[in-house]
Amino acid sequence: MSIELNRRSLVNGAVAVAGAAAMSPLLSACGGGGGNSATRRKGGTNSKKGAAAALPTYVASTAVQADIPSTTGSGSAVTDPGILKYPASPVKSVAEVPGAGGHYTALTPLWGTIPAAGNSFYQAMNKALGATLTMKPANGVTYANTIPTLTAARKLPDWVQLPGWWNAQFKVGELCGTQLADLTPYLAGDKVKQYPNLAALPTGAWTAGMWQDKLYGIPSFASGFGLPGQYFYRGDVFRSKGINADDVKSCDDLLNLGKELTDAKGGVWAFDDLWPYIFQMFDFSYKFTVTNGKLVHKYEQPEFIEALNWCHKVAKSGYVHPDALAGNNNDAKTRFYAGKVLITADGTGAWNEADALAGIAANKSYRRESFKPFSADGTKPPRLFLNPSAGEFSYLNANLKPAQIQECLRIANYLAAPFGSAEYTLVNFGVEGTDYTMGAHGPTPTKSGMADVQAQTFPFLATPGNVISNPDYPDVTKDHCTWNSLAATYAYKPVFWNMNITVPQRYATADAAQAVEDTIKDVYHGIKPVSAFQDALSTWKGSGGGDALVQWYQTTVMDKLGTGQ
Amino acid sequence: MVSTVAEQGEDEQDSSDRPAGDGGAGRTTASSAGTAPQVDRLNWRVRLRRDKSLILMTLPAVGLLLVFNYLPMVGTITAFQYYDPLDGIRNSQWAGLANFRQLFGDPLFWHAMENTLYISAVQLVLFFPIPILLALLLNSVLNSRIRSVVQAITFLPHFYSWVLVVTLFQQMIGGAGLLNQFLRQHNAGTWDFMTNPHTFSLLVTSQVVWKDAGWGIIVFLAALSAIDQNLYEAAASDGAGRWRRLWHITLPGMRSVIVLMLVLRLGNALSVGFEQLLIQRFAVGHDAADVLDTFSFYYGIGTQNYSYGAAAGIFKSVISLLLIWGANKLAHRFGEDGLYRK
Repeated sequence: MSIELNRRSLVNGAVAVAGAAAMSPLLSACGGGGGNSATRRKGGTNSKKGAAAALPTYVASTAVQADIPSTTGSGSAVTDPGILKYPASPVKSVAEVPGAGGHYTALTPLWGTIPAAGNSFYQAMNKALGATLTMKPANGVTYANTIPTLTAARKLPDWVQLPGWWNAQFKVGELCGTQLADLTPYLAGDKVKQYPNLAALPTGAWTAGMWQDKLYGIPSFASGFGLPGQYFYRGDVFRSKGINADDVKSCDDLLNLGKELTDAKGGVWAFDDLWPYIFQMFDFSYKFTVTNGKLVHKYEQPEFIEALNWCHKVAKSGYVHPDALAGNNNDAKTRFYAGKVLITADGTGAWNEADALAGIAANKSYRRESFKPFSADGTKPPRLFLNPSAGEFSYLNANLKPAQIQECLRIANYLAAPFGSAEYTLVNFGVEGTDYTMGAHGPTPTKSGMADVQAQTFPFLATPGNVISNPDYPDVTKDHCTWNSLAATYAYKPVFWNMNITVPQRYATADAAQAVEDTIKDVYHGIKPVSAFQDALSTWKGSGGGDALVQWYQTTVMDKLGTGQ
Repeated sequence: MVSTVAEQGEDEQDSSDRPAGDGGAGRTTASSAGTAPQVDRLNWRVRLRRDKSLILMTLPAVGLLLVFNYLPMVGTITAFQYYDPLDGIRNSQWAGLANFRQLFGDPLFWHAMENTLYISAVQLVLFFPIPILLALLLNSVLNSRIRSVVQAITFLPHFYSWVLVVTLFQQMIGGAGLLNQFLRQHNAGTWDFMTNPHTFSLLVTSQVVWKDAGWGIIVFLAALSAIDQNLYEAAASDGAGRWRRLWHITLPGMRSVIVLMLVLRLGNALSVGFEQLLIQRFAVGHDAADVLDTFSFYYGIGTQNYSYGAAAGIFKSVISLLLIWGANKLAHRFGEDGLYRK
């Protein structure tokens, strides 16, 4: 479960997730702390009207001169700007030292090697921030189990990153106001102007961090055009075989290409798992669609069964790598780098400099490219639903005093300094000479920089809006920006977009629909026929509580608060 | 397992209902107290002083047991609640037996139960005898160097994690593994063992054999080494052949340990492994791979329905307790010691 969620959702950060379904100890003896359930708020859902009063005013930043400017697509999608060269001499953009000598502990997930505590980079950061921020990066793979133990014991640190795809698991809706601080009094409306870099974050990203019509989450890696993922192919291999990827205009084309590319004897298969973003071809929704004023769950959309049918056929075709069919997702990137798989589904964040480096290490001519979006039958225009405008949010502890919250927000403002500024360079690359050297294309990390300066520590507390930049590989930036501006023309806001909905505990099992999801996996791995899905679906609708869940969404959320369009 | 045998050894020394001159002879205090039945009624203070070093030695283990096994049992209350970790045990709503009613009406649960029993039965038949046979085989090797090399090699895989073991199997006999690539290159049909739900129990068992058979022989080797060598010499001089000695000396000498292991195995019949099945769940599908433990994980913890998972866990524990109790009774009936002496 968590593997797929990670792959889907870590779209913006340059985050490679090697997540395995992690083992969790039973939360048996924990908890029992204070808190009276009768008086404690049980979360709620955002409404468009209520949110408007709390949202910060947007003040665009002019600090970044984009080489490839943003484009506006449909569904109010705005692509991230592309920057080809890193500024040779980064400029200072935050005038004052933000901290007031406070001491704070920050917890963030890290998918990689944890840097040593108190290292020289942390010290340099504390000096620049004027406060002592004790960074406590925790293993990202088991993070989903770390947080519930802390919240059950009411021991969250001062500042914590809670990735959006775990909102339900962490019960963020219930934590807001009880354990997490309400930032509305500090940031609503024009108040945000005290923190100009936070004011420059897109409004959608703030909306995605709102709970019960109040501001709680500070967004990281905000983007005006976030997709769950996309389909990639090995551009270098396609060119050497004389294949033009633009000729693939339907699922039939793709399957035929699969036949052409698969050479099982030679250990090469055309496809990895194609299911993760198959909704981009078959046009079923993120979770719900509205038909004649009624909510329809994606499981009940005819397109869903069509997609499942097709993926089952692909699994049986012999064009999918056997390890992918055996459920091994962790090695998907390795298979792609090694050329054992030529077409793969991955998050949009997979397309960057780190990927180019890793791919070229395996094969000198490695080039990742992406299929232009197409619909299953090739006649309709494809439709791509948007992700929430940010996937990662940091929260402040409710026990902090107002002066402390203001200090932390000033620090967040520093961390959100524009791309290429002196502050951005320090946060992302460390100290020149120690952690990086300035090369022809931009900062190149040194050995200590690689160990200490991690993309998943300070940037998980706050970042500027997303920018596409791969200084050493300008072609990657160009390809990515071109693809984005085309794909943005097919974008739409899914039902309940950017709305944080707190589902009551009694519907949690139906909402997770574990039994249906398991069966879906069996079907697209070719283990079970599509009829198994229909059986699981009818159980889910009835005794599984699915119909009741949809009804709850209809009456409590949609009828009262709208669909977030 | 090793500690169990050690404790059993301890029991033997402690035992007081044996005829004089057998086990209790080593204890000067015990023998000085007079006849056997009175030994049991020794003042607890005297016994405490007598056994204080032994008690001290077991204290850390008892402490660990308390902290990690007994204390968490408080959490079983959650099975009777609609437990919300944010409310804690004290403030969560009481559910009574609702979770159990839901559990017993859940076809997925019964399916997991079925899988558990099936895999357990297959393992009992195909895995359990292997360490015994290996131990006998090793015991018959006279060259101690060859013996320790073989033992080390069969022993090592026990220390591999399940992720490694499954990866190794995948690399060898998986769809794109060594064997199948070889078959493909020679235009032979491929052998789909790693993703075939129908033969999954055999796959799981073969992995367990590869990983743990070597580990399992330790106990039996210990039992073998405890057999008096004089018996063999006496039997040999009486003209007993190799097979007769095996039948009349070796096997009876091992019998109590074999029965003990069997009782423990039955008590664990509902625990057929967790990581191993979790890792391979997507390869064969949840229908074939879901056992009680993974059921608790996916349908309890995975969907934040902790109470439901706890209910499944408690049910499993109760059945396990009954199984171990029954097996022990049976062992006693056949005149064996089982877990403890009656």
